[in-house]
Amino acid sequence: MLAVSIVLQPLTLNAQEAALNAATGTPRIARPSDQVLVVRGAKIYPISGPPIENGVVIVRAGKIEAVGAAGSITAPTDARVIDATGKVLMPGIVDTHSHIGIIGNPPVAANVDANEGSGPVQPQLRAIDAINPSAAGVRIANAGGITTANIMPGSGNVIGGQTAYVKLRGQTIEEMLIPGTIGGMKMANGENPKHYGRRDQAPMTRMEVAALARREYTKAQEYKRKWDDYNKAVAAGSKDAKAPERDLGLEALVQVLDGKRIVQHHTHRADDIMTVVRIADEFHYRVVIHHGSEAYLVAEELAKRHIPVTLTIVDSPGGKLEAMNVNEHAAAILEKAGVKVAINTDDDINSSRFILREAALAVRGGMSEQGALRALTINGAEMLDLGDRVGTLEKGKDADFVILSGPPFGVYTKVLETWIEGEKVFDRRNPADLRYATGGYDVAGRYPKFDAATVGGAQ
Amino acid sequence: MTRPSLRCVLLSVVVLAISHTVLAQKIAVVADKLYTITSEAQGQPGVILIENGKITAVHMGSNVPAGYTVMHAVYVTPGLIDAKTTAGISGAYNIPADQDQDEQSEPNTADVRALDSFNPREMLLEYINTYGITTIQAAPGITNPIAGQAGIFKTVGPKTVGPTVDQLAVKPVSAIVFNLGESPKEFYGKKDKAPTTRMMTAAIIREGLLNAQAYQKKWADWNASEKKDPTKQPSRDLKLEAISLALRGDVPAIFNAYRADDIDTAIRLAQEFKLKLILSSVTEGYLETQVIKQSGAAALVGPTLQRLESIETSNASLEDAAILAQAGIPVALMTGFENYVPKNRVLLFEAGVAAGNGLGFEGALRASTIDAAKILGIADRVGSLEAGKDADVVLYDGDPFEYTSHVTAVVVNGKLSYQRE
Repeated sequence: MLAVSIVLQPLTLNAQEAALNAATGTPRIARPSDQVLVVRGAKIYPISGPPIENGVVIVRAGKIEAVGAAGSITAPTDARVIDATGKVLMPGIVDTHSHIGIIGNPPVAANVDANEGSGPVQPQLRAIDAINPSAAGVRIANAGGITTANIMPGSGNVIGGQTAYVKLRGQTIEEMLIPGTIGGMKMANGENPKHYGRRDQAPMTRMEVAALARREYTKAQEYKRKWDDYNKAVAAGSKDAKAPERDLGLEALVQVLDGKRIVQHHTHRADDIMTVVRIADEFHYRVVIHHGSEAYLVAEELAKRHIPVTLTIVDSPGGKLEAMNVNEHAAAILEKAGVKVAINTDDDINSSRFILREAALAVRGGMSEQGALRALTINGAEMLDLGDRVGTLEKGKDADFVILSGPPFGVYTKVLETWIEGEKVFDRRNPADLRYATGGYDVAGRYPKFDAATVGGAQ
Repeated sequence: MTRPSLRCVLLSVVVLAISHTVLAQKIAVVADKLYTITSEAQGQPGVILIENGKITAVHMGSNVPAGYTVMHAVYVTPGLIDAKTTAGISGAYNIPADQDQDEQSEPNTADVRALDSFNPREMLLEYINTYGITTIQAAPGITNPIAGQAGIFKTVGPKTVGPTVDQLAVKPVSAIVFNLGESPKEFYGKKDKAPTTRMMTAAIIREGLLNAQAYQKKWADWNASEKKDPTKQPSRDLKLEAISLALRGDVPAIFNAYRADDIDTAIRLAQEFKLKLILSSVTEGYLETQVIKQSGAAALVGPTLQRLESIETSNASLEDAAILAQAGIPVALMTGFENYVPKNRVLLFEAGVAAGNGLGFEGALRASTIDAAKILGIADRVGSLEAGKDADVVLYDGDPFEYTSHVTAVVVNGKLSYQRE
């Protein structure tokens, strides 16, 4: 899906990418253990194939080495073995839309950095400069089985800034960032960016929201042309070619035009969704529809264009006008129309602990269980260009997985363990971790000791 | 399959609903697993007979006498009760036009009644009805220290035809609502008005209660006077009359409190004025089980899914309901108040969370039926499937609390309010 890159990128883009790679290339975490890990006995949902009763997963150096039925594959004798008999194992969940860490805990002004309110166009902003890896929300997401997330700026701006594709581990954002990724571009239309109207500023109409986006991408096209011309001149041996002035925002938008950054677009109403489609068509950029409350009304249009939708599945309609037609059947309708569907938390709209529940509600509304499992894993991974790395349990992929106590969509099912690249990041048996599964964000202080067995805590 | 909105669905079924409500005066609900709540056998095959809005008989097995319209389901429970919500007085649009839950003009609005804001045609009511919630206590919001009067209402579903608020009211005035914690002081504090501290919130409440005591005495003295001199008759004060309802114990006092020390404040005030105390939200209640137990207060817990959006919910626990119930405190579940997306929580889902986090299937079922009815003082009418009670019945195709199950039909007052298509 990546657009063919032009011969010479503007130097500035290379510089930025180099800077990012420098930041992500040498993670300051312990290297994955060289000891081979074997998880056996669980019913495995590899997603890439049918469920495997009594399955085995073999992990080496943070990667999946093999997945199969017991007896079909052999593990080295010195492996560390985890017995998951009677449990369920699925890939780590990919949350395509989260604000953990960028909306901290508690979410009071001091901890909230999602929306730069000084203007509606902010492509130069980077989520990585505001994410707090120590926020309890990150650990709470682990307790929900989430291993990969797209952490984004909010929806208050037409162009909100650069999102971050992360693994939910580590003490610094550099440790969290998935190497080689530069994130997406957050955009929004509909009600939220119109809030500037209350200050007598643009945008105050949907027309202007669209016009702002078109203006910026037109500028980005021109900016790209200038750099292309410059690079061509340099390549042709010109000595007096003058480098254009750098513009951090336009650089990031050029990455969108080049297909290196997917637009992750907040949009609810059907007509707003079609506005997103119209502008994406005009500028030939790749886009994922986020929330998509009324996407089911234009399912055929989206299917035709292969535009994926990541749904935020909430308990009830309303709260804002553009969410009035939230419909339990939305995921099922989209699935039937052939639209690729993911399910996200939009944490803190939904708690990251309840992403499995969101998918269960999609099943309640008629989505297939298989479709709902894909919506939690590979479909989301593909919407972040991470489909070759995460989202299924296949040889060569990152060893990100979740061990559940029962069926994925059961109300009594608990996330027991969450693993990222062969390292355990959540274990419900650990009292400190259990608090993230059941408690608030200030879980360390006053949470008393319970008799876990009697209050249903342990499993 | 495309369902543009509940409203359109509603319009299309009105004709059908009218004919149905006329015909289906005698309904037999046949269950594979019947949960009457109060009888000995639970989860066995059974039949509920309904006539003229009431349950006339309950028996085990599957025999249905002649003359009944039969409805069958895998699971059958009583209509669920949401013990405290703003649905009906806070609408789905979330714009000033449909927000009537919080009279934010002054901190003591004891004289306002949910009854007078309640919109039976609010789509959220229709929505929650389709998830089996047939009775709700609609309560004023969380801003005012003395917020006003809650009311208990039946819900209407997509198939219900035009009842008025007064027809839906089970208890037009069911409680006086008091609010502690962050909300009152943050709202009025921003306007440089009292209360700006928890101290002042408590002081405003005490003053209201003291004034009501004095008011009651004034009236008692006048009533006791021989001449009942009309010129000396005290003038009526609707706020003090409302607070007097709680002082006399005619209705309970609901104190909304999150933090443990706010729960303590509620208990302190309730004891000073001998109020029948019901705590709501009770976020840190699990830290205070002995204190709450000794106070005799009941707890309306939830929402268990509450966003960790303030400092006072920082210690929220999904196990709160389970721990309180285990300590012997009467527990009901509620959905409370939501100010954004989603505009409303669904009690059925909240009960599922509680069931899965220690309360268990039967505990969660009781907390959303009979225990709620007892706490709210409406157990003579709802909360269990027994002869003589209102025919509020929910039918499911699987375990009610499993997210993937469906409510297949809802009956309120003996009439079909929702049927799954």
